[in-house]
Amino acid sequence: MFKLNLKIALRNLWRNKGIAAINIGGLAIALAAFILVTLYFTYETSFDKENPNYENIYVVGITYPEFKTNYVAAPFAEAIRQNFPEVVSAGVIKDSAFELTIKKGKNTLFTKKILQVSYDAAKILNIQPANGLIKPAGETERLTYLSTESMKTLFPNKQDDEPEMVGFGASTSGISGVINGSIKNNLHSNFTFDGVSIGNELGKNDHYNMNDYTIYLQVKPATDVENLEQKITGLYRTELLKDKSEEKSIKEIKGISTFLDPLANQHLKPKAGNDAPYKILIAISVLGVLILVIACINFTNLSIAQAGKRAKEVGIKKVMGAYRFQLTKQFLVEILMQCLVAIILALIIAELALPRFNSLFQVHLSIWDTANGLFWKIPLILVLITFCAGIYPAIVLSGFKPSLVLKGNFSTSKQSYWLRNALLVFQFSMAVIFIIGLFIINSQLKYMRSEDLGFNVNQVVYVKNLTMFNNPAKFGSIDFEPVRQKMLKVPGIKSATVATFIPGGQNGINSYAANGIKANIDFVNVEFDYFETLDIKLKEGRFFSNKFKTDTINSAIVNESAVAKYGIKNPIGKIIRGCDIDYKIVGVIKDFKTQGFENAIQPTIYTIKDPCGSFKTEILLKIEQNKMADVLATLKAQWPEINKLDGEDFRYVFLDELYGKLFKKQEQLESVFFTAAVLTIFIALLGLYAFAKYITNGRLKEIAVRKILGATDVQLLKLINSSFFYLVVVANIVSWPIAYVVTNMWLKTFAYRIDFPVLPFVTTTLITILLTIITVSIQAKKAVNANPVDALKYE
Amino acid sequence: MIKIENLEKVYKTEEVETTALNGINLHVAAGEFVSIMGPSGCGKSTLLNVMGLLDKPESGSYKFIDTELLTLNDRERSNFRKRNMGFVFQNFNLIDELTVFENIELPLIYNKVPAGERKKLVNEIIERMNIVNRSGHFPQQLSGGQQQRVAVARALVTKPKLVLADEPTGNLDSSHGNEVMELLCELNETGTTIVMVTHSSHDASFSNRIINLKDGHVISEKINKSRNEELI
Repeated sequence: MFKLNLKIALRNLWRNKGIAAINIGGLAIALAAFILVTLYFTYETSFDKENPNYENIYVVGITYPEFKTNYVAAPFAEAIRQNFPEVVSAGVIKDSAFELTIKKGKNTLFTKKILQVSYDAAKILNIQPANGLIKPAGETERLTYLSTESMKTLFPNKQDDEPEMVGFGASTSGISGVINGSIKNNLHSNFTFDGVSIGNELGKNDHYNMNDYTIYLQVKPATDVENLEQKITGLYRTELLKDKSEEKSIKEIKGISTFLDPLANQHLKPKAGNDAPYKILIAISVLGVLILVIACINFTNLSIAQAGKRAKEVGIKKVMGAYRFQLTKQFLVEILMQCLVAIILALIIAELALPRFNSLFQVHLSIWDTANGLFWKIPLILVLITFCAGIYPAIVLSGFKPSLVLKGNFSTSKQSYWLRNALLVFQFSMAVIFIIGLFIINSQLKYMRSEDLGFNVNQVVYVKNLTMFNNPAKFGSIDFEPVRQKMLKVPGIKSATVATFIPGGQNGINSYAANGIKANIDFVNVEFDYFETLDIKLKEGRFFSNKFKTDTINSAIVNESAVAKYGIKNPIGKIIRGCDIDYKIVGVIKDFKTQGFENAIQPTIYTIKDPCGSFKTEILLKIEQNKMADVLATLKAQWPEINKLDGEDFRYVFLDELYGKLFKKQEQLESVFFTAAVLTIFIALLGLYAFAKYITNGRLKEIAVRKILGATDVQLLKLINSSFFYLVVVANIVSWPIAYVVTNMWLKTFAYRIDFPVLPFVTTTLITILLTIITVSIQAKKAVNANPVDALKYE
Repeated sequence: MIKIENLEKVYKTEEVETTALNGINLHVAAGEFVSIMGPSGCGKSTLLNVMGLLDKPESGSYKFIDTELLTLNDRERSNFRKRNMGFVFQNFNLIDELTVFENIELPLIYNKVPAGERKKLVNEIIERMNIVNRSGHFPQQLSGGQQQRVAVARALVTKPKLVLADEPTGNLDSSHGNEVMELLCELNETGTTIVMVTHSSHDASFSNRIINLKDGHVISEKINKSRNEELI
């Protein structure tokens, strides 16, 4: 019997090739999208999961009244380990503060990130060099390992894993060291690096005001984390009180607490960071599921629409003695086979789409990677969609009464009519929401690209540099002025400056007091020409200038937000105190968007002298438009003379490219929405196309009679279109509030955003109505053009 | 063999109630060939559907060799139908996706006849129906007469006790119609009981007895002497 049913199924599919292709094709496309989303979801939620202690690792963070951070003083790690028996181990990690040049013979390696890891942290986080984790001797020994890729750059022909001597910095620096071997840089981990430097204990003698390490704890299984969190807060407050360097009042200390953040949170939603990646992941996953649901609905709708063709078969089989159960089973198996074909197609489509997907999301996903669990997920998805898409048609089909269908009196019930309309409305609502979403994302991105940022990143080159230009000199830094003068001699360089941070990156935070208010605000230490180089607008006062001797001693420029934060009236000449210096405000600049559009502009102070600040290493050059290539070539050639301490390697980035990275997540979202909108509207139209065919076929006699009675083609097209027209209008109205809420929520994640637009709603309605009329009319035209006698003769 | 008493069947729509069968009493003896005639809407097809267990009446009794059939559940009705009854329809009702051979094989499959025997039985009946060279064809490739032969073959292949025919010649021209009627007569002569619904008095003349229905009642019954004499 199975063989015979298979024959019927295959011959049926073959006879209705068009509809079958729409049905299976639509499902395959949606499944491909779903498979990609599943792969991405699994990947994003499993960072560091191969770590055997994954469930028991926590980051220790600090909550200040204004913000949260993962940066803590290193000695606190040891204090925690000693005080709490439930903490098995505690270790610290620190990113390298700057880029490092490593040389071996002719080969040069620029490392962006050398992780400094304590031995305990390496154990906790499973950071394993190729030749095994070795405990460094004593307090000072550092064992340095380079990632496999870095090793290849530096030692292209090296076969063994023996230690090698290398030079650091410029070839004239004379600094050398040992690379102890290679270590695999796992991209599927929160800890990626060009190299790792492992020490026994790091920052052991740091004070509690030196918050530059991240502490990782491994706790015993089943530890009461909330309780531990409270105990650690208590310990931290006690330690702060003991520490002489941290002159904080008891009231201030009481406002500080600690938190434990699981390792599992670090990639997507760290407590001391933003959870935008997590939200985007959830949004993408919901999209994937919705597209699949829409395709399943299509499948259901088309299967029911096709039911008429199978009614006779059902009738005959029942007359021959088939049970309803047998028929239900037959149809389910049939749908299972179609879903199986769809899944195979989907895997092919997914495989073809993966390279594009990988480059969009900057991941390295593969269908063939067994870790993604597709081998068990695919059969599960198959069974699930077969059931969701197939159970209703199977029940409807197997429920036909033979006495009716064999007479040709076939019609599906009113109930299924309503259901089908509801499903159609649902599909279209989804498509409408996606299209509106796409329009709004598009408008916001357009706004972000065209809106005045308050500064100009074009024609600005950010030169990476190892020399520290702090004045007065600290830790071997030198005066920037001679270097600046040399650079300004290069024809085409309009201005040159150096600062601690570049726009688009993270600024430093320190405590400043003004107008009787004390607050933590952003700080940037700069040199002359900083504001001119970035084309930042002055609101009142003046920029820094070498004409004023005091500018290198105690002058400060603040932005509008800082003025507002401290509530300073007539700020020029007023004092703002920080780092034991009374700074005099000489200028107020207009706010400019260094952090893109998502974050509100932070109150910021700009100073030249700042003993509590950071190292000024980030050189920024404004270059004349048509001289860019010449300038870069000259700088490359003359770099060792211009900036002797940085060595012979001139490295640069265009600031606009760097700043553009802030838009990347949103551009990803735009791509995803574009794909989702196209897919949903495409699948919905496929469904509509087949559904319109079914409806018109059912009305052939009516159309014939109307035609004989004198109806024109236009009247008939209008007649057939009208019911679909109402459905689409209903779908639009239903989806407006949902689209409004969702897009408004998204817009609110931006500190700077467009006014909520109405146009996307109107445009989407018009687009969907137009597409519906075109789709339905293509089908209806055939029926309208047919000879009415044929339809009546058939009767 | 068949004993029908006080059969009533009402069709209900939202607004109208139509009584299709109004206290029908009918006996059919084993080996009989009975025609049911009457104007459109008199209830003859409904009666045939009830006899074929394709439809349920509101009340009454339907006994088939002493078994009351109206109390059976759906599964039991399916089982009874496939073992004892064969159907021939006006519009043939062959499955378009199956070949002639496969269409005829279908009831045997539902009766769980082993494959070897199925092949033998189908080939036998194909030969008897004179459609051997058509066995690999699909229904659309056959003429109406040929399609109805396949439908008759399908009805007979399980060797049913009762064959129910609903206007078997309705969609055929007179020569093909006659062929089908002759087939049914041959079948009847081998002992199969036949109940046929027809509009055509010509077709009815092939049967032993003609029952006339009107408005759900049996209004007359006539023994077809010429046919009975012929048989004697």
